[in-house]
Amino acid sequence: MRFLISFFVAALIGLGVGLYLGWVQFPVQFIDSPASSLAPGFKDDYILMIAAGYAADNDLNGAFERLRLLEVNDIPLYIQETTERYISNSRSVDDIRLLVNLASGAGRLTPLMEPYQQVTLPGGS
Amino acid sequence: MRPTSLPEDTAQPRIPRRYQRPRSPISWLGVILGLVVGVGGGLFYTWVLNPVVEFDTQPWQLNAEDRQQYIVAIMLDYGYTSDLARAMERLGTLRPQQDPIQEVADIACALSTSGYVNNSSGLRAVRAMMRFYQLQNRQGCADQIVLPEDIQPTAVVLIQLPTPTLTPPATKTATPEAIARGTPTPGLFIVPTTPPQSAYEIANIPTFCSQERAGLIEVNVVDFNGQGIPGQRVRVRWDGGESSFATGLKPGRNPGYADFQMEPGLSYILDMPGLSDPSQPLTATSCALENGDRSVISYRVILRPTQ
Repeated sequence: MRFLISFFVAALIGLGVGLYLGWVQFPVQFIDSPASSLAPGFKDDYILMIAAGYAADNDLNGAFERLRLLEVNDIPLYIQETTERYISNSRSVDDIRLLVNLASGAGRLTPLMEPYQQVTLPGGS
Repeated sequence: MRPTSLPEDTAQPRIPRRYQRPRSPISWLGVILGLVVGVGGGLFYTWVLNPVVEFDTQPWQLNAEDRQQYIVAIMLDYGYTSDLARAMERLGTLRPQQDPIQEVADIACALSTSGYVNNSSGLRAVRAMMRFYQLQNRQGCADQIVLPEDIQPTAVVLIQLPTPTLTPPATKTATPEAIARGTPTPGLFIVPTTPPQSAYEIANIPTFCSQERAGLIEVNVVDFNGQGIPGQRVRVRWDGGESSFATGLKPGRNPGYADFQMEPGLSYILDMPGLSDPSQPLTATSCALENGDRSVISYRVILRPTQ
């Protein structure tokens, strides 16, 4: 009886220690992960980089092809939501303009984005 | 008479001292075994049965293919911003095992030897990578495979014309006025080798996903005012075939409208023969409808006069 009580109490304590180690201190480190599981901040960074590429080459198909990596169902909607979130969170104006340009190319220019749309003035740039 | 007991029989047997101490309520053997079993069970549960859900992946955890695409994205951004520090910072998030710039060169090499550069989009990406690592004095096999973008045909070709025969001296015969006109001054002819500007350009190619109009290329040829122009010849080419059709043949639609049905999985290039540059490849890939069903992506191609 003494042995069993000691065993079960220790097993409970050990289980708690094991859960802490396995979930908190040394959680499973994933490698070979898909881009769809990227942390939100890196997803934002990725779409921003694609938007910069689109600003350089105007290649909408290429941009869409690269955004498929994130495995979102509706890419234009995803671009729109990301852009509006950037605007709502007052992120860098340069970044917002890149995203608005991409959203415009994807046919998702909303009234919220219009003030950030790049315009070319006659005789100017 | 024999005594009932001998003196040595009446003496109490010696009890070891360890049995005389109060008994510990803890079994150390049980504790050790319990801890081993508990910790082992906990780790098995957290690492195997119910591991931490993967949702905050860092770039360095990406698989090889997605890692390549992430680096391509970094290079595309660099191609636009020329911000080296930012590009290096982003490459650092990938925790490269070697020189990160050389890794870019190696990936450009791998991509250039694959089908990735078969379309202009992939070609541009590889060129962006080449610009990046070449500026940092690195080399890769892509240098021999992909021509840099800035190698253009020579701007002009100078043709030295033969020296013209001198005009014979005037005779007494009245010379007709037409002949009296001056001989054109010989000189250098400058022949531009750049192709002439196209009459039409592709303004935009938005995509859409529809059940009813799945896998369709919708073409609209418009004038400067956005009005459709009927009767314009449009050509669609794909691997192993091509088709030409004219705008304005769909009653009830825009007079500049025409459409073409794509085969799922194939890529198509659209142009107006002799009047426009070819489009980017339009690939009939799968897309998701709002209700979650799958369909084939469709494109709207707008062609307008070159400004």
